Amino acid sequence: MGYLNNSVVTVDAILTKKGRELLARGDGSFNITQFALADDEIDYTLYNPDHASGSAFYGQAIENMPLLEAFPDETQVMKYKLSTLPRGTSKLPLLEAGYASISLRQGAALAITPQTLNYLGATSTFEAGGYTATIADARVLSNFSGVGVNTEEADNLNSQTTLGTNVSKTVIGTSINLTATTVNTLFGTRSSLQTTITLIGRDSGARVNIPVTITKVNI
Amino acid sequence: MSYRRFDNDDIVVSADSITSPAWSNNAVTLSTYVTGSQAGTDSGKYYYHVYNTGSSDQEIQFAIAYGHRLGSGSGLYDASIVGKSYSSTVYGQFRTLINGDEDTDFSFLESGTPTTPDSVHFISIQRSRFKEKILPGSILLSLSGSAGDLKLTDNSKTETTDSFVDAGRVYSLYSGSAAGTVISTTIEYGKVYPDVGLIALNTDKLVADNFMGAVNVTSNYTTVDGKETCLNSLVSGSGFALRADETLSSNFIFVRARNSEFNYSTNPSNITGSGELRHSTMIDNPQSYISQVGLYNDSNDLLAVAKLSTPLLKDFTKEALVRIKLDY
Repeated sequence: MGYLNNSVVTVDAILTKKGRELLARGDGSFNITQFALADDEIDYTLYNPDHASGSAFYGQAIENMPLLEAFPDETQVMKYKLSTLPRGTSKLPLLEAGYASISLRQGAALAITPQTLNYLGATSTFEAGGYTATIADARVLSNFSGVGVNTEEADNLNSQTTLGTNVSKTVIGTSINLTATTVNTLFGTRSSLQTTITLIGRDSGARVNIPVTITKVNI
Repeated sequence: MSYRRFDNDDIVVSADSITSPAWSNNAVTLSTYVTGSQAGTDSGKYYYHVYNTGSSDQEIQFAIAYGHRLGSGSGLYDASIVGKSYSSTVYGQFRTLINGDEDTDFSFLESGTPTTPDSVHFISIQRSRFKEKILPGSILLSLSGSAGDLKLTDNSKTETTDSFVDAGRVYSLYSGSAAGTVISTTIEYGKVYPDVGLIALNTDKLVADNFMGAVNVTSNYTTVDGKETCLNSLVSGSGFALRADETLSSNFIFVRARNSEFNYSTNPSNITGSGELRHSTMIDNPQSYISQVGLYNDSNDLLAVAKLSTPLLKDFTKEALVRIKLDY
């Protein structure tokens, strides 16, 4: 008779850049209240339902793979979240922003209104909880705001300001407004700035990453 | 839903006391004392830094300062103003720091009677060496003079009640045979203040008992300085043992994924372009692989992230419990 394995998985966590910023701010915003699980790095094409040894071995290639250490950049981790959906779901939610990429001239404005496909059986819907939008480098936009979600946490998040370095900024809304920066010195000798916007459905967990290019004009 | 709120008992704060050797390279006993050429420098008039080695990777271990209640044993600020010297500054500085009262001089017990020596040496342990506090009962300070060797240790292990001064806890330094093992409590040769990493030595008594050379109270710092006598006694001794103590606070966070939760993945490799699951076998028996856990605040800011060493299979028949340790 062998012993039952009753151990739990124990791992060390690292603070993200955003976590350090909020910890340093000391205003209570560094308060862990919820968690999410993700499967970044996992390649599900390695899942082999035709494995000759049977179903116990379908995921063998995935289960034995080593994983990289965590990155402190909050925009580069937790990309593909695991969702809680009813059993029998055959289609997973997809987030559609209407843009494969965004290109703005200095000072130009744009509004993004994301939609979620396949969510809860609907073909197209706006999630009641709204969407979180994260700009990887907050400096490149003079305005980055979310509208349409009037909760306390959304108001708190949307009113936060970040100064100085290239940390990310996150807002909540059903529609996201952005205006490209007019600050010339950010460009240095370059003619454009690149960053990304990550949109995540707050109910579905669906995610889309959109490249953003800000083009310098003579302002 | 991709986010799950923690229950009240999912986050536990744990504070653990971590003790370790105080000196560089995790040495329990420091037996080499290197000061270099500090005599006559601006800082050398007040204190000498003591290093663990003379090589390029040397690190400061502690500082020695000499204080005199009346200002003797060091150069004067102004030759015409007697009593205002570097040694009086040192004495006053530590008197204020430790006793919190400029009228309360340092006193030590001799056969149960408090005495107030004029000369006191101060050993100030470098903060990075004692970390949060000196571990009481870990000190074994060896001095040597013409009377032979004297090992000093603190009485924290035998005291039933801690004593406090303005600088926190205070223990007496008596002759001992090992760290924390006191031989005789007749003469209090010094005091240790673990919370501020300080040791005060009763120089007058150490000199009188010939465990330390006499301080030339008329000398100038450029010749035989008061600090030198203590340093010489340390160098002749057999070492200085000390341990550091710090409290490390950790958050233990228990992430519990129930059987019905987190079984579907939004990973692009798991779905087709229209959102359908790539593998039809996963429609009724979805399987996901947990590779990381993200910790969020109410605003969905990702505050911390933890990675698993290997993917953890999750489906409708499995529940996952991941314990995350988060240090500050």
